Amino acid sequence: MSTTITASGPLTRWRTIDLLTCAFLGVAFGVAYWAWGLAYEAPATAVSAGFPPLSALFAWPWLVAGIVGMLVIRRPGAAVFTELLAAIVSALIGTQWGLTTLVSGLVQGLGVELGFALFGYAVYSWAPLLIGGFLGGAFEAVYEWYSYWTDWGFGYKIAYLFLLGGSVAIFGSLLAVGLTKLLANAGALAAFPPGQEARERAAV
Amino acid sequence: MTEPAPADTAGLVDPLGRPSAAAPRGAAVEVAGLSWRPYGRARPVLHGLDLTVAAGERVLLAGPSGSGKSTLLRALAGLLLTADSGELDGEVTLDGESEGRAGAVGLVLQDPGAGVVASSIGRDVAFGLENVGVARDAMPARVAAALAEVGLDLPPDSSPSTLSGGEAQRLALAGALVMEPRLLLLDEPTAMLDADTAAGVRAVVADVVARRGLTLVVVEHRLTGWLDLVDRLVVLDGDGTIVADGAPHDVLAEHASSLVRQGIWVPGAPEPQPLRVALTPMPRAAAGVLAPGAPVVAGTDLGVERRSRRLGSTSRSTTAVAGADLAVEAGRLTALTGPSGAGKSTLMAAVGGLLAPTTGRVDVAAPITPVSGGQGDCPRPPHEWPSVDLARVVAWVPQRAATAVVGRTVRDDVLTTARALGLSGADAETRADELLATLGLARLADTDPRHLSGGEQRRLAVASAIAHGPALVLADEPTVGQDRLTWSAVMGTLEAARREGAGVLVTTHDPGVVDRADQELALRRPSQPAVDPEPERRPLLARVGPLALLVAALCVLPLPALLGSWRQALVVLAVEVTLGAVGLLAPGPGRRPEGRLRGVLARLAPAVVAVVGVAWSAWLLGGRDLEIAAGAALRVLCLIVPSAFVVGFIDPERLGDHLAQRVHLPARPVVAATAALQRLQSFDDLWTELMTTRRVRGIRADRGLVRRGTEAVAVTGGLLVGALGQAAGLALAMDARGFAGAHRRSWAGPAPWRLPDSLAVLGGLTIVGAALVARALVG
Repeated sequence: MSTTITASGPLTRWRTIDLLTCAFLGVAFGVAYWAWGLAYEAPATAVSAGFPPLSALFAWPWLVAGIVGMLVIRRPGAAVFTELLAAIVSALIGTQWGLTTLVSGLVQGLGVELGFALFGYAVYSWAPLLIGGFLGGAFEAVYEWYSYWTDWGFGYKIAYLFLLGGSVAIFGSLLAVGLTKLLANAGALAAFPPGQEARERAAV
Repeated sequence: MTEPAPADTAGLVDPLGRPSAAAPRGAAVEVAGLSWRPYGRARPVLHGLDLTVAAGERVLLAGPSGSGKSTLLRALAGLLLTADSGELDGEVTLDGESEGRAGAVGLVLQDPGAGVVASSIGRDVAFGLENVGVARDAMPARVAAALAEVGLDLPPDSSPSTLSGGEAQRLALAGALVMEPRLLLLDEPTAMLDADTAAGVRAVVADVVARRGLTLVVVEHRLTGWLDLVDRLVVLDGDGTIVADGAPHDVLAEHASSLVRQGIWVPGAPEPQPLRVALTPMPRAAAGVLAPGAPVVAGTDLGVERRSRRLGSTSRSTTAVAGADLAVEAGRLTALTGPSGAGKSTLMAAVGGLLAPTTGRVDVAAPITPVSGGQGDCPRPPHEWPSVDLARVVAWVPQRAATAVVGRTVRDDVLTTARALGLSGADAETRADELLATLGLARLADTDPRHLSGGEQRRLAVASAIAHGPALVLADEPTVGQDRLTWSAVMGTLEAARREGAGVLVTTHDPGVVDRADQELALRRPSQPAVDPEPERRPLLARVGPLALLVAALCVLPLPALLGSWRQALVVLAVEVTLGAVGLLAPGPGRRPEGRLRGVLARLAPAVVAVVGVAWSAWLLGGRDLEIAAGAALRVLCLIVPSAFVVGFIDPERLGDHLAQRVHLPARPVVAATAALQRLQSFDDLWTELMTTRRVRGIRADRGLVRRGTEAVAVTGGLLVGALGQAAGLALAMDARGFAGAHRRSWAGPAPWRLPDSLAVLGGLTIVGAALVARALVG
C-alpha cells in the first residue's frame, strides 16, 4: 500500500453502503463467532491444564470482525459497530456466554477503535493495527479478569492480558488484512478504499 | 402522454408526502454530458451521454449486455456512487433540479427480494415513509393503498420471504409508489419471471403509470410485451452510445436486424437456434455409459420438508416437494416447469443427490453407481456419496451462478472437476478450451472468474458443469437473463451434453427451452400442512418487549463482584432458574406451546462446556479444592442462565424499534443492523449452496481436520463476498427510498413500555438483590 486512500467525503458522514457493509460483515462474523465458540472450548481447556492464560491463544479470532470493519470502511465507529453487531448475532444464535457477549463486543470494538483514532483515522498500516489489536485484546482481558478469572493471581492476569493483546495484534491483524485483501481482490469492495486501491493497482 | 411539465407545483406532493388534490405528474428528465468510469476500468461505461425525456413519457431502454443500460438507470436515480466508486461527470436534472426530494425517483431492481428491508410486507412498504418522517398514524392507510394499487392482496403482516417472484416485484413497486414518485425506473423487472407472471407485472406497471401520469424508463432485453406500453425506444450500443431513438415501431422497422445481431430479443424475429457444438469426447466419462433412453436416475414418491429459522421466533416447516416421481433418461432433455414456489429446484436437487429427501427414494442406474454407492440389494442414495463419486456422475448449474465459482482463473474453474477426478490430460484441456470458445469466454480464460459479469458467470457455470462429461446434468434456469447470442451458446452446450449421452434436467420458464426438451414435467405448488386453528398460548416472556428482556438479562453483570462462595452462587442460581421457569409459563386459553424447555436447554448446552473450562482452571489453581472449582462454575452459570431463558424471545426488528425510540441510538445504524439481521436465513442458504457446489464439483473435504478447516476458511470467504454483494444491492434499494438522508426518521413499529416490561426488569433486579442478600446471610 504505497498510498492510503481514505473514505470519501467527511469521515463521519456514513453512506448507506458503509452502514450496510458493516452490518452484513457483523452478521456474517457473528455466525462465524458462534461456530468458533463451539470449536474453541476443547483446545482452550486443554492448554489451560499447563498454564491457564494460554487459552488467550484461542481467543483472538473474536476480534477480527472489528478490525476488518475498520480496514474496509475507514470511518470513526466502524470497529465498534461491526464488532458489537457480531457479538449480538452470536448471542442471539446462542453462545456459551449469553447476552454478556455484548459487553465483550463493546470493549473489544472500543480497543480496536482507539488504535485507529490515535492516528486520526488517516493511517491503515501496521502501527494502528498493532496498537488497536493490542488494546482490543487488553480491554477484553480486563473484562474477563472481572467476570471469569476472579480466582487468578495477578501474575496470571497480566500474562493473560499480554498474551491476548499480543495475539490479537499479530494473528488478528494478519487474518484481518488477509480477509480484506481477499475481499478486495474478489471485487467485493468496489465502493470502499481497499477496493479502489486494489483496482488502481490492477489498472497500472 | 408527452405534455410539458406543469409550470406550477400545485400538482406535486410536498416532502412529507401528504396527498395533494391534483394527481401527481411525471417529471421531465434531462441528462447532459454524462460520463462514468468506474475505478480500475480503462474505458468509461458512459461517455458524454445526452438524453431528454419529457414529462410523462414512457421510454424503453435496450442494448446488448455491458452497454451501460443499468448504469444509466442508476445515474437517473442519482445512485451511481451508492454502491461503486469512480469518476462521474455531467448532470442529471429532474424538472431542472439536480437535488430532488427523497422518493421522487422510484427504482425497481431485477432480483425480486433484493431490496426487502423488513420482516413483513406492510413494514417494508412503510420504509420510505419512515425515512421522510411521516407520522406513524398516517402510515397504514397509505401502505394499504399502495399494496392495493399493485394488486397485492395479502395481509400486511405476511413475511416477504414467502412471496413468489412476481409478488416480490409488486412489493418493490408498492414500496416505490408509496413515496409518490414522479419518475419510475425499472431495471429488467421481469427478467427472472415466467411469461404469465411477467405479463401480470407489466399490466400493473401500465395501469399505475397511466393513472399517475408518471415518467417511465424501463431497461429490458426482451422487448416483447413492453413495446405496446411505451412511447419511445432508445437503443444503446456496446460503447454506451445512443444509436437509435424514436417511436418503437419506427426504430424496430429500421434497426430490427442490427438489434437481433446484438442479441436483443425483438418480437417477430425468428427464434434463435442452439449453436451446434462439437466437443472432444472425454475419456472414461460417465456420460455415454448408458444406452440412450435408459434411465440415469429415478426419484420415486419424493418429498422434501424445509425448515426456516428466524431469530426470535420458532422455526417453521414448509413442504417444498410432495409425492413427486421423476425419471431422467440418458441422451434426453427433461424440462421441469411450473410456477415459482412449485419446488422445481428442490426436486432437481433431491434427484441429483444434492440434498437428502425427507421421504421417497432415489435410484441411480447400476452401471454408473460408484463403489461407495453400494451394489445389489443395499444401494446408498446419492446424497450420501462422497464428493468425488458424486461429481463423476452429477453436474449442477445453480441459479445463483456467482456461488458456483471455485477456480482461480476461468480456465482453472472449468478444469477443476476433471482434475479432482484424475481425468486431466490433453483431452480435458482441449475440451475446456472448446467450451470456453463456444460460450464466448475464451478471451477471459486467464481472468479471475469473480470479476465476470452475471451473464458471463452463468455461462462459465455451464462450461464447468459439462467439462468432465457427467452422466446427469442439472441446470437451474440456465437461460435466464441471457441475450439471444448467449442463449444459443448455452442451449447448444446443453444439447451437446445430451448428444454425448448425458441425461439433462433443466428447470425453466423459457418456452424456447421447453420446445427443445424431449419431455416436460409440470409441477404444481404442493399443499402446505394445515395450520392448527387454535392459537398457541404465549409464554409470559413472549409478552415482554425486547429491550426489557435485554436489560433483565444484563442485570447479571454485577454478580462476579458480589458472589464470594459457591453457596451464595447456588442461591442466586436458584432464584434465576425460578424466575426463568415462571417466565416460561403460558397461562390463558389456547393450545399448549411446544419446545419451551427444549429451547432453553439447547442454549445451555454450549454453556456447560464453558463452565467446565472455568471450573477446571479454578480447580488447578485453587490447590485442587472442589469448593473453589464449584464456586467458579456456579458464578459463570449465574452469568449465563438468564440469557438462555430470554434470548429466544428477542425479535431483532422490535429490538431495533426499541433501541432507536427508547434508548435513542442513531437511527440509520439501527436500521442497517436490523435489515442485515433479517438476512440471517439467507446466509444459511448461501453457506449450504457454497458447500453443495464444492461437493458436486468433487472438491469437498470429506474428511481430515486440516482439509476441513481450510475449506471452512475458503467458504467463509465466499460467504463474505456474497454478503457484501447483498449489502450493495440493498444499499441501492434503500437509497432509492430516501434512506441516505433519513437522519430524522419516524418508525412504523411502536416501542411501547408496558407492565410486563417493568416486571421483567424487576425480575432482573431481583437477581442482583438475591446476590446482595446471599452475601449478607450466607457464608
